[in-house]
Amino acid sequence: MSGASAPIEIAGLRKVFRQTTTGESIVAIDQLTLRIEPGELVAIVGKTGCGKSTLFDLLIGLEHPTAGSITIGAKTPYDDFNDFRGKIATIFQQDRLFPWRSAIDNVKLPLELIGIADDLQQERAMFWLQRLGLANFANAYPRELSGGMRQRVAIARAFAVQPEILLADESFSALDEVTANDLRKTFVDLAREFRSTAILITHQLEEAMSVGDRIVVFGKSATLLADIRMKDWDRSDHAALRSAIQNTLQMNAPDERLKR
Amino acid sequence: MPPDAARSPTPFEEPRRKSMMPSLPRETIISIVLFAAVWQIMSYLAPSLGIPAFAIPGLGRIAESLMKITPIDVAVTLGRVLLALFVSFIIGIMVAVLMYLSDSVERYLRPMVRILMAVPVVSWILFAVLWFKGVEFRIVFVLVVVCAPVFTVDALDNMREVSRDLKQMIRSFRPTSFQFFYKLMLPAITPGILTSWKITLSLAIRVVTIAELVGAVTGIGHRLSVAQELFSVADVFAWTLVLVVLLFLLEALIVQFETRVLRWRG
Repeated sequence: MSGASAPIEIAGLRKVFRQTTTGESIVAIDQLTLRIEPGELVAIVGKTGCGKSTLFDLLIGLEHPTAGSITIGAKTPYDDFNDFRGKIATIFQQDRLFPWRSAIDNVKLPLELIGIADDLQQERAMFWLQRLGLANFANAYPRELSGGMRQRVAIARAFAVQPEILLADESFSALDEVTANDLRKTFVDLAREFRSTAILITHQLEEAMSVGDRIVVFGKSATLLADIRMKDWDRSDHAALRSAIQNTLQMNAPDERLKR
Repeated sequence: MPPDAARSPTPFEEPRRKSMMPSLPRETIISIVLFAAVWQIMSYLAPSLGIPAFAIPGLGRIAESLMKITPIDVAVTLGRVLLALFVSFIIGIMVAVLMYLSDSVERYLRPMVRILMAVPVVSWILFAVLWFKGVEFRIVFVLVVVCAPVFTVDALDNMREVSRDLKQMIRSFRPTSFQFFYKLMLPAITPGILTSWKITLSLAIRVVTIAELVGAVTGIGHRLSVAQELFSVADVFAWTLVLVVLLFLLEALIVQFETRVLRWRG
């Protein structure tokens, strides 16, 4: 596969929601500017309600920004929605499998949507189930699988279209720690192998540090508090880094120690 | 299966419903035999209780009436019910999809659908007699106007209940509108649609009988009308029995289909 070729450019992004009951405006994202290079593995970390999931919806293209833009190779995922068919794939917190489809049929779903030939669908879905260690469960329905196995099917479904961009929203936070660690590693390995740009949204700092090449820390309304390249930090500095990010999140202001 | 396979249900899982297959457990057989015995005793005792003999015919007389059942009338009624149900289903689903897609359409059509559902069957029969000449058209019209709104309301409610998470998931993969309906909405509402079929089937069997009473020269309703004119309770009993058995058989077919289509529920 070719992997990601265009950067994701977020410029002056603003998203405001109006509450239907009170009419009050809520600024979910305020003036966010960020550039994500092709093939980068970015973990976005922030407190609950900081606008991470709104950014996720905007990146998928299911929401339009109030102001600013997200461009990927001169196109926007919301205005040029259909141009990104098969190029963006998502992994959610819950597996979101169709209960009426077997594991392999769930993996085939995005392939059916992009119109791949039937025999190729079968072949590719089976390949991904094998990669995720579920070849023996191809015909099992989701109710017959454990939570971890279902999330593996969801990962296989996302990778099956060989997307340029992979978006994961708290995808491992509902799992037990052992399964979550295992799936994080699988996710990172596959994203690197297939050179996809991967964005993992999480509220867990440990998860962000174990997955990301780069950690973006969001404050209130997705204000950019820190943008950390992990390669700039030695493993021996990780404890200090963790402490600095925690302090940043707590104070909702950049920590001096993060400036490198 | 992995040890932690037992877990919370997915948004689509509903409590398993009891099978509606016409199984005959011992209790059912006993209650039917008891009913038959009481009926037979009542038919013996009727004259001494001052009840006319024709009012409670013996089982032998009812069996004779059953032997005289004309299959053509059963077939005609069955044909009318099935035709009307298919037409009602198609109209009902199309209207539901339109209402689902457009809030304005929904706001205009919902009161109409509610009004249609509130009109008594007898009124529809009278309207049909006054408006239309053809007997067949009258019967199908009455059945459609009674059953289609049920399909519409059930399908719309089921579409609204489809999990937002699943809608967001499939939308993230950018389906066409057709794919969205075909891959997500249709399978998601199938359990509800099958329940709807069971409800409307029972409704249609009851409505067709009344509709056939007026003007029809074939069908079970017509035969019931003739039996009433002849004061033949045995014939009324026999034809009613045929209707009930017909309903059970059709429901059993739907349940079989349901079991096959919804095997993912386990």
